[in-house]
Amino acid sequence: MNEETLEISLVNDLKEIARVAEHIDEFCASQDIALEVAYAINLALDEILTNTISYGYDDDAPHRIEISVRPEVEALVVVIVDDSAAFDLSNAPTPDTGASLEERPLGGLGLFLVHQMMDSVEYRREGERNIVTLKKNKTGEQRPEDG
Amino acid sequence: MKIEEQTVDSVVIVSLDGRVDGSTAPDLEKHISDVVERGDARILLDCSKMDYIGSTGLRVMLAGAKKCQQGGGNLVLCTLRATCKSVMEVSGFLTMLDYYDTRESALAAQS
Repeated sequence: MNEETLEISLVNDLKEIARVAEHIDEFCASQDIALEVAYAINLALDEILTNTISYGYDDDAPHRIEISVRPEVEALVVVIVDDSAAFDLSNAPTPDTGASLEERPLGGLGLFLVHQMMDSVEYRREGERNIVTLKKNKTGEQRPEDG
Repeated sequence: MKIEEQTVDSVVIVSLDGRVDGSTAPDLEKHISDVVERGDARILLDCSKMDYIGSTGLRVMLAGAKKCQQGGGNLVLCTLRATCKSVMEVSGFLTMLDYYDTRESALAAQS
């Protein structure tokens, strides 16, 4: 297996998220990474990037966000670096997933899902930058279409 | 994401094709609102071609289900792919909303 690192650079535009997902899907396919792992990484990136792009900037200037995805022996390590407002996402509130339709509030699921789908979520602030490190264990399963 | 609509036995079947993410969920929100506002509050979301949903899509589905309920109907789901299904399961959506493995069983329960 070719243990290369995927690097994606994007601007703070929600439309970029679909392009990120394409890169992740292609990369995971080339590395024989299970579909559910690729999905989990896409979901975490969607949630984090949507938050950052929607709420993280107080000006209209373009901002760059850098993502790297590095396969390790047992896990994929995803690092997201941006210059948005400081936001520690290493703790997420737990929604009441047993609530009825009438009682269930809208929202509050994004960070919960990131924590549910990832095996670790770490945050640190370096100068003006947020650095988020996600780890997702690779399952031993083969992609079904690869037999 | 593509959205297609057809009506069977006064149930509006809304079929989703592609990604329901932060940039496409508003289209789904508008579509569900339009359906409810014209007086059709029984909606079946066919998810057989939906290959991604995140929290924004879940929020839109929840808001749509509340609207349908307030309009005297309901919003049900069918035919989720395994990856999307696990996201809905962990979020509690498969117990909060009615879910069916086939479109036929969903329609039979709705009519």
